[in-house]
Amino acid sequence: MGGTFFRNLNRNKAMLLMVLPGALWFLCFSYLPLVGTIAAFKQYRFSRQGFLYSLVHSKNVGWDNFKFLFSTDAAWTITRNTLFYNIAFIFLGLVCSVAMAILLSELVNKKMAKLYQTGMFLPYFLSWVIVGYFAFSFLSLDRGLLNHILGSFGGKSLQWYSDPTYWPYILVLVYLWKSVGYSSVVYLASIMGIDRSLYEAAMIDGASKWQQIRSITLPLLKPIIIIMTLLAVGKIFYADFGLFYEVPRDSGTLYSVTNVIDTYVYRGLKTTGEIGMSTAAGLYQSVVGFALVMISNFVVRKMDKDSALF
Amino acid sequence: MSNKKRLGATLTAVTALSLVLGACGSSGSNNNAASSASGSSSSEKPVNLIWYTIGTPQKDVDKVMAEVSKYTKEKINATVTMKMIDWGDYQQKMQVLVASGEPMDIMFTSAGGFDYVQNARKGAFLQIDDLLDKYGQGIKDTIDPAFLSGTKVDGHNYGIPANKELPQLEVWRFNKNVVDKYNLDISNVRSLESIEPLLKKVKENEPTFTPFVMTKDYVPYVPYDYLITNLPMAVKLDSPDHKVVDILETDEMKQALETMHKYYTAGYVAPEAATTGSTTDLESTGKWLLDRAQTQPLADNVWSASFGFPVVSTPASDPIITNTSVQGSIMAISANSEHPEKAMQFLNLLNTDPVLRNMVDSGIEGVHYEKTGDNRMKNLPESKNYDMPSYSLGNNMLLYLNENDPDDKWEQFKKFNASGVPSPILGFNFDTTKVATELTAVQNVKEQFWSSLMTGTVDPATYLPKAIQQFKNAGLDKIIAEAQTQLDAWVAANQQK
Repeated sequence: MGGTFFRNLNRNKAMLLMVLPGALWFLCFSYLPLVGTIAAFKQYRFSRQGFLYSLVHSKNVGWDNFKFLFSTDAAWTITRNTLFYNIAFIFLGLVCSVAMAILLSELVNKKMAKLYQTGMFLPYFLSWVIVGYFAFSFLSLDRGLLNHILGSFGGKSLQWYSDPTYWPYILVLVYLWKSVGYSSVVYLASIMGIDRSLYEAAMIDGASKWQQIRSITLPLLKPIIIIMTLLAVGKIFYADFGLFYEVPRDSGTLYSVTNVIDTYVYRGLKTTGEIGMSTAAGLYQSVVGFALVMISNFVVRKMDKDSALF
Repeated sequence: MSNKKRLGATLTAVTALSLVLGACGSSGSNNNAASSASGSSSSEKPVNLIWYTIGTPQKDVDKVMAEVSKYTKEKINATVTMKMIDWGDYQQKMQVLVASGEPMDIMFTSAGGFDYVQNARKGAFLQIDDLLDKYGQGIKDTIDPAFLSGTKVDGHNYGIPANKELPQLEVWRFNKNVVDKYNLDISNVRSLESIEPLLKKVKENEPTFTPFVMTKDYVPYVPYDYLITNLPMAVKLDSPDHKVVDILETDEMKQALETMHKYYTAGYVAPEAATTGSTTDLESTGKWLLDRAQTQPLADNVWSASFGFPVVSTPASDPIITNTSVQGSIMAISANSEHPEKAMQFLNLLNTDPVLRNMVDSGIEGVHYEKTGDNRMKNLPESKNYDMPSYSLGNNMLLYLNENDPDDKWEQFKKFNASGVPSPILGFNFDTTKVATELTAVQNVKEQFWSSLMTGTVDPATYLPKAIQQFKNAGLDKIIAEAQTQLDAWVAANQQK
């Protein structure tokens, strides 16, 4: 037994060496910190003997640290916002990036295609704080572009930052603007990997562009689409803090449509700084995310065994 | 049996790994740990004190601390290593450093940065009642007693507050150019209502100006002291009954909010005040009439110098000594300090010895500053490499005067401090452990309604009842009841003494 193990080890040493940095990274930053999840059930207090000792010897409080997530009116709002925004992001993000990837792959002028791609890629690298100011230059009450346009058509200026009506659309739009360029690259790469002879054969048989896309590109993209979606589903209880905090400029009147789990936790705990409660929130988000990934993977496996993640 | 063994082995492996990682993480401070450990091994060798403080890290800190160490070695046989953490990072980095048990002896804490009361309760600081009696006589003699009594947490001292301005006094701060141009009379100004004619005049004559400047943190002044800054639990100042109320339900606040809304609709306030984080840009243009600020003696001069045009101010409140005002700057001894006695001796020296205090503040004489008189100094060009925030480094009243300071600067401070009236809840610190769940919900409701109500952006006639109801739903009544119980117990205990 042992002999086979070491022989395998030796045979695959190049592969294993390549895996090593990533494995170490996960060990240090994902597996070791798991010890800290005990903090979710503790009222954490400092002691002289360092972090681990304090962690073990702090008072046990059971599920008390989780209560703040569920005990108020806000619980429904933040759960609904987090879930629905993320569903919209996953769905629209998928449609837009796949469409964008197909468009880019069909462009004849490859130089221009690269230019568009880079241009769409750029917003991904901007910090949300900067994106927040971009949005502000459009939405500012007295100096914003949109209010100027409205004014020149004789319309009334809108109080963008105190009227929640438009914010679901604004947030989705800003999110797509920032992320589509990046995620379309993944799809573009796998389109590039599709055997060109399939298209040539289709063209000889007289298939139109639309038929080619429907019968060749999309079916061949299906595995990667499923993987990307499954991964996104795992993060469905995590909201993008920057998007929901910086872009609406933390405006209180917009909370009904901008407050999500992450911003709620931040606002609630920034003064008291109870490590236990913020750990509890994180644990809750990951457990639900984990369950959702397992469920959706199970569903995928039932329908098409080869496309499932595991 | 074998299961247990395996668990044991796994645990050992995890512990070993975390030890290795921990060692990597703190390799930068190994020197200090080593030197302080060796310091404690024999009493002859000087002890090294590690001091964490707030502010943009300065290039010459190590150089100055080497000089400081020479002096302190002679006086108390201790050397000093200072570590500065930048303003914006201080809170978060200190949380991590303290939680992970990083070696340190002295650290800066305050009501604002690395919260003093919370962290005292969480066990970050050493309780120093005995040390203070034994080694801190100088501190007790020099600094205003209100500072030491106001920084007690559950009856004990956890830090040495810096001797500086004691009460909190709100003022209306005027752009003097505009005041002079329109010949405005500011002598009768005090209440929120009294500024209306001035705002009106400026708005009529200068339509592009913002008459009343404020950020989203603005709160109209009402004569109450808040249990937690900007949360609605408050106690009336000049009343003996120590009753905790919801500030939004008081007549004073209702009236103030109506006035604010009137000002907002009249255009005296910037339309986006409720989401404005900073007004520095607006104020440096000079296109404004007034704002509200907290003052201290000679503040008008400092403000005028930083704006580049003259600023005058008149009081908007009485000078009140509150928990926040006495907890503005505190130096605490870390709970994991290996040399608490030496640390206390150092703090005593720092707060009583002008030579040491000025060295820490201004650097090395002849390099960073030069003395121009008995207690006067002038910064030299090198001072740009050692530009420290004075308020966070101990007793301010030992500092040498700058060229432009009047001779009686510290006399004015003492007079100002003597004028302060203690808040009825000075020294009472609300322990929120039992209501932590409700507090997070209340905190969120506060963020939702506070700025738009306080800046007058929304009409209190419709929004105030809504806000009050939401606070109640979030559990404000339970928090107030808990606070009242604690406050009553505190009052009873204090009256016995």
